[in-house]
Amino acid sequence: MRRLSLSIAMLATTAMTAPVQAQDYPIVDAPLELSIHMHWPRAQGYGVGGDTSKIYPVEEAARAATNIHLIDETFGKNTKDSGEAMNLLIASGNMPDIVGGHLIKQPVNEFGPQGAFQPLNDLVDEHAPNIKKFWEDNPGLKEAIAAYDGNYYYIPYLPDGKYGRAYFIRQDWLDALGLEQPDTVDELYEVLTAFRNNDPNGNGMKDEVPFFARNWEEAIRLVTLWDARSSGSDTFHDFYVKDGAVVHPYAEDAYRDALANVAQWYEEGLIDPEVFTRGSSAREYLLSENLGGMTHDWFASTSGYNVALEGKVEGFNFIPFLPPASPSGRRLEEHRRIPIKPDGWAISHTNENPVETIKYMDFWFSEQGSLLANFGIEGEQYEIVDGEPVYKDSVLASGDPVNAQMWAVGSQIQRGYPQDYRYEWQWTRDSARRGIELYDQYDLLVDQFLGVAFTKDEQAIYDRHWPSIRTYMLERQQAWVLGSGDIKADWDDYVETLNDMGLQDVLEVMNAAYKRQYG
Amino acid sequence: MTGLPDTPSAAGSGRKAREVRKPGRLQRITEHLRREWQIYAMLLPTVLWMVIFLYKPMYGLQIAFKDYSVFRGIANSPWIGLEHFETLFNNDQFLRALKNTIIMSAYGLLFGFPVPILLALMFNEVLSQTFKKSAQTIVYLPHFISSVIIAGIVMTAFSPSAGIVNTALGWFGLEPVYFLTKPEWFRPIFIGTGIWQEAGFQSIVYLAAIAGVSPTLYESAVVDGASRWQMMWKITIPSILPTIIIMLIIRIGNILEISFEMVILLYQPATYETADVVNTFIYRQGLQGGQYDFAAAAGLFNAVVAFVLVMTANTISKRYSRTSLW
Repeated sequence: MRRLSLSIAMLATTAMTAPVQAQDYPIVDAPLELSIHMHWPRAQGYGVGGDTSKIYPVEEAARAATNIHLIDETFGKNTKDSGEAMNLLIASGNMPDIVGGHLIKQPVNEFGPQGAFQPLNDLVDEHAPNIKKFWEDNPGLKEAIAAYDGNYYYIPYLPDGKYGRAYFIRQDWLDALGLEQPDTVDELYEVLTAFRNNDPNGNGMKDEVPFFARNWEEAIRLVTLWDARSSGSDTFHDFYVKDGAVVHPYAEDAYRDALANVAQWYEEGLIDPEVFTRGSSAREYLLSENLGGMTHDWFASTSGYNVALEGKVEGFNFIPFLPPASPSGRRLEEHRRIPIKPDGWAISHTNENPVETIKYMDFWFSEQGSLLANFGIEGEQYEIVDGEPVYKDSVLASGDPVNAQMWAVGSQIQRGYPQDYRYEWQWTRDSARRGIELYDQYDLLVDQFLGVAFTKDEQAIYDRHWPSIRTYMLERQQAWVLGSGDIKADWDDYVETLNDMGLQDVLEVMNAAYKRQYG
Repeated sequence: MTGLPDTPSAAGSGRKAREVRKPGRLQRITEHLRREWQIYAMLLPTVLWMVIFLYKPMYGLQIAFKDYSVFRGIANSPWIGLEHFETLFNNDQFLRALKNTIIMSAYGLLFGFPVPILLALMFNEVLSQTFKKSAQTIVYLPHFISSVIIAGIVMTAFSPSAGIVNTALGWFGLEPVYFLTKPEWFRPIFIGTGIWQEAGFQSIVYLAAIAGVSPTLYESAVVDGASRWQMMWKITIPSILPTIIIMLIIRIGNILEISFEMVILLYQPATYETADVVNTFIYRQGLQGGQYDFAAAAGLFNAVVAFVLVMTANTISKRYSRTSLW
């Protein structure tokens, strides 16, 4: 529809300045069919819920705009494991033009340099002005997806929005005990102790669980309250960047003292004694039984319990609060959304139309494509109100989650595209919105470690040492929290063992790769 | 289920034919095939199944000695000799996992193997058919429940706050124990769970063997005034002994095949010390990182050990009890 408004005269100027609508649509005059592998958790195949006989309305719209038709050729439709499907695809030697979906970064960066995928650096520079602009606006991302040869081989799915998990507390319990929201780690200690001792749920039994978590790693993350770190990314136990060098949080001195405090809290019963085995049902169970007092979990889903438990647990009010300040006065929310996902799509070596394909991928970064990729079809799912995409009531009030509705029309699926946070904000509950606005007033977040790409030799060293070191770190960590062993007494032996196991070698290759990649 | 015939019947007829005249080898084979083709036709599907599903995949074992890349394929990946095996044996955690595997299997065999036999003997002595049928159903049932559910039941049962085990300990004034984070408790819990889940179903084999014992033996024993206890020791057990030995040899062959999905569901870093087995080690080390070549090397080593064990068990059994797999 918009293609008529773009004239050849406009095109001539776009190479210099960067008005983002720089492509000429449709991309090809005669329809061009490209085959695609698209395997991700919600759909094993490029069609509604994986049913490839149903073409997404969004795909129809993209066909009309670009004249490029994606034809499903997904491998491994009978497995939900996208990694397995990818291996089947590559081993078959019969690759479709576009390979996309869940967790493609690792295979693409491993097999790309071997020739299975086409490097995109030059293609994007020459033919994809929207993607190029995105890289310019968001420095560091292009580097983060590169393979060890310096090229990058896929266009990622780029999540928007900063906040992931937050600290939640039972405000009604605080009120019942006449306490204020804890502002420092010492106040938090007092509050949790009161939760444990003073029967805030009022049933006369000492059955309260002051701090609980669905992932036991979140109990370890409490070390951030004493200026230590537990991870540098949205993956648990990851490396992080400290003063320009990659280090591991569990080999830092700050961790020793902080974990000793966590172990102390565990021993005193302030942390769920069953935190290691309670698992994913912890939140559901402890909140609905009126037993849990505080957690660290996702904004959106956790605030949902205020609605779900309304009337079931009297006075239930579980709200986000600011990360308590550490003894040095620092507030840190270690978890944040990763700006770049290992999901997206790549151009395989068999693709004979790489230029058209990259222009097509670029389409999803244009204004029109981005709206399609995020919000569905204009007039069907959303309207433009004052220049903003706004969901129609039929979408917001349908009773089905908005994300599921988007997946059904072909939006928010794991193609390479920039997510637009306005999508999620519109159906975020008020309590979560207030929390996000609260967190936004402070500077709580730290930069994420987005990973490195190893050369073959570096990878060999990493593979040889790291899985064992990680196993050892976690074994000791749980032992210390559970009280078998004293971290302060064991620390020197622990560090020595880590070094014997090759931690310094791992850090060396990590840093070599980090410097090469991020300069 | 009582062993395979010692000599193939074809051997006898072949010798007779040789005494009369000496036809060409090819001629003998063609004649034999023409005469017995139906039997071979019946064998064919099994042979095909074995070739396709068991022998053809062995081609892939070579990746244990290669620097394997999915994209380059098996044939084009370069050979690297025993490098993966060196890495494996230089890893303390592998050696620990190997030790745990052997210990857990040995305990599993020691405690787990007799239980189905006892169950079968007990069922055999039960007179009330209604009781027998319902008891059998109850002990078979856990076999049909998925490991994930079983693990959930175990975790709940051993939970310090709500678990039945700790509640029972509380009646005796004992402090609750967080069993699933204690290395010393992992093996008993794991082996106990395995017995609970599988003993009933495994007893079917022995019940079938008992059903095959000739009733005349019992009848003459009754005439001779034997007690039920004597009949069990002198008739039932000796009659099912070949079945027991075959099952034992098979079990020894699978000794390194700990049901690792159960371990993964139940273990914690805190219990790795006693819980980590070869397969979970391979899973963490190899498959999670996509190192198929390394995982293949560990798997191949596992298979070689199992092969040696089953050969040894079979030879010993052949020598002393004349019952064997082959």
